[in-house]
Amino acid sequence: MTIIDIFSGFLGAGKTTLIRKLIAQAYQGEKLVLIENEFGEIGIDGGFLKEAGIQITEMNSGCICCSLVGNFQQALTDVIEKYAPTRVLIEPSGVGKLSDVIAAVQAVADKNPDIQMGGFITVADANKVKMYTKNFGEFYNDQIQNAQVIVLSRTGEISQEKLETALELLRNQNAEAAIITTPWEQLDGQQILEAVKRQEHWAQEMAAEATCGHHHHHHDHSEECGCGHHHHDHNHGEECGCGHHHHDHDHGEECGCGHHHHDHDHGEKCGCGHHHHDHHGEKCGCGHHHHDHHGEKCGCGHHHHDHDHHHADEVFSSIGRETVRKYTPAELEFALQSLDSGEFGAVLRAKGIVQGQDGQWLHFDYVPGEINVRTGSADVTGRLCVIGSGLAEDAICNLFHVK
Amino acid sequence: MTIPVYLFVGMLESGKTSFIQETMEDPKFDSGEKTLLLLCEEGEEELEPEKFASAGSVVVTLDSKEQLTTENLVRWQQETGAERVLIEYNGMWLMEELAAVLPPDWTIYQCIMTADGTTLENYLSNMRQLLLDKFAVSELLVVNRAEKVTDRMEIHKAVRQASRRCDIAYEYADGSVEYDDIPDELPFDVSGQQITLEDDQFGIWYLDASENPAKYKGKTISFKAQVCQTDRAGKGCFVPGRFAMTCCVDDITFVGFVCKYDQYKTLEQRSWIWVKAKINLKYHPLYRGEGPVLTALEISPAEAPAEDVVYFS
Repeated sequence: MTIIDIFSGFLGAGKTTLIRKLIAQAYQGEKLVLIENEFGEIGIDGGFLKEAGIQITEMNSGCICCSLVGNFQQALTDVIEKYAPTRVLIEPSGVGKLSDVIAAVQAVADKNPDIQMGGFITVADANKVKMYTKNFGEFYNDQIQNAQVIVLSRTGEISQEKLETALELLRNQNAEAAIITTPWEQLDGQQILEAVKRQEHWAQEMAAEATCGHHHHHHDHSEECGCGHHHHDHNHGEECGCGHHHHDHDHGEECGCGHHHHDHDHGEKCGCGHHHHDHHGEKCGCGHHHHDHHGEKCGCGHHHHDHDHHHADEVFSSIGRETVRKYTPAELEFALQSLDSGEFGAVLRAKGIVQGQDGQWLHFDYVPGEINVRTGSADVTGRLCVIGSGLAEDAICNLFHVK
Repeated sequence: MTIPVYLFVGMLESGKTSFIQETMEDPKFDSGEKTLLLLCEEGEEELEPEKFASAGSVVVTLDSKEQLTTENLVRWQQETGAERVLIEYNGMWLMEELAAVLPPDWTIYQCIMTADGTTLENYLSNMRQLLLDKFAVSELLVVNRAEKVTDRMEIHKAVRQASRRCDIAYEYADGSVEYDDIPDELPFDVSGQQITLEDDQFGIWYLDASENPAKYKGKTISFKAQVCQTDRAGKGCFVPGRFAMTCCVDDITFVGFVCKYDQYKTLEQRSWIWVKAKINLKYHPLYRGEGPVLTALEISPAEAPAEDVVYFS
């Protein structure tokens, strides 16, 4: 099986830097081939690649007029046959359309069942989003619109106001993509790669928890120690007695530690013979890890994130926002305390991971009468979610200083 | 009445706006003529018309390429009563797209290109054709932030691939300017009355003769070429030329000058011939102006050259 990830973005956006980070932090253990159709300022140096055991193939085409289709599809087919990689990284020309590259790769994948489309990632210089959107219309906007993840570069160097404008422009063009606004040095490569699979699902999750009343299991991990690491020493298996290792918290989404927890072989430990963590919900695309089979078999009474968590949408409304705003703990505590007043509707839960003003990240949780604001690890972007019934959306947004 | 057009080309953030601002602030350039400024791009820098040397300027910003039509250009000029036009052209648009819509009475007087030394070499590696497209029409390339340039020869070669006439100026942060003085020696001897081209030199000669036709007036030239029979060559004429490549296979085009030859009909299309001809300068509709027109002195069949395609540098 070969998975193909595509990294698009205009010249100078930082594609090469991102790819280097991912090679070092997220693609470990994979047999990689990198196809470059661009000649960057920073070459991915040969020594580094050799050390990492990576094959590099440069497409000899420096200009946009050269047909992508013929050459490219042949080159892709050839490298897959020759090196049998587990993953191919494609860095297409920065002045090309991402949709063209996707179509070309898809055509190759259609002919070969062993080839699977991976992530479509667009790197955009946060400082230039506005200008490029305006002037490079055709290909630049195509790169934004077709991305599953938009990774903003140089976000640490610009004002919050400018970053907010950039985010808004991107959102207008792509409502679905995960947009990474956190400076890269605060993130692990794995978090960036996983961003595609973990979008706006807090609302469903929280609603589901609120419905069945089993939220106790879900948020007590990092909350207590606040160290941001995930400790596998509390024994879920024992409690429920099903012998399965549940991972109710979704891969760092809730614990926010940003680490990928599932490197250890679940199949081995739980003995159920299922490999539970294939691609983490990639297949259904909702970004959750479903554990469908657990619910049926173990009967432990916990809510295992089956697809049925969506039913709660009908009962509650939710307000989810991404934000690049920097908060103080006092601001968050004030906002959360205010939710108790009843002025904002019947708020059932609220949670968020946002940037703090001192460069640290703040995680918060709210259930009526209970507020928790703590420091935690960085997330790919700041976000918060409030669920309840009869929510006063505008007032809540004002309360959290979001639009 | 002819409307002079001053064209500023180059990529986004290459310094076009600053260049226009400086030009318009210069009383030697802006001596009160009503000027229409057409901006086809919106970068970080904005024009400050209040600082222009005179007040008679109107700025029109185009939001998209769709607005670039002859109709609009004529209308803007008439509405403003402009006596001349400055165009800041979008670096991603091709020059032929402008040429196609330029009103007949608008004439390009000057075309200046700017480039950022920080990104120029990277852009040349990755979107060479877009840049070559602009080099071809520019008389001067100003490379600002020149201290960031690592290899002037690469830039020189790239410019010469598209144009033998475009000068290159390197502008440093402190305002000092150095001109590119890398010599461009022609690979053939032009000192005598008779010039003979090697098989691979046609492209270079074609470019030089297009840009400096006077240099070749009255001389005799011998070269190998392919026959192109076309009605557009005019009565009693054909075009001996070569397929030439600027940047990559997709841009290969046939280039050549019109040649008078009373037996032109005997020549087979696409066949290889050896041409000896005299060069004159005449008006020809194919050139939309004056250019080199050959008169055949001797034509004989020839072997195909080793390389089908020629280059301009």
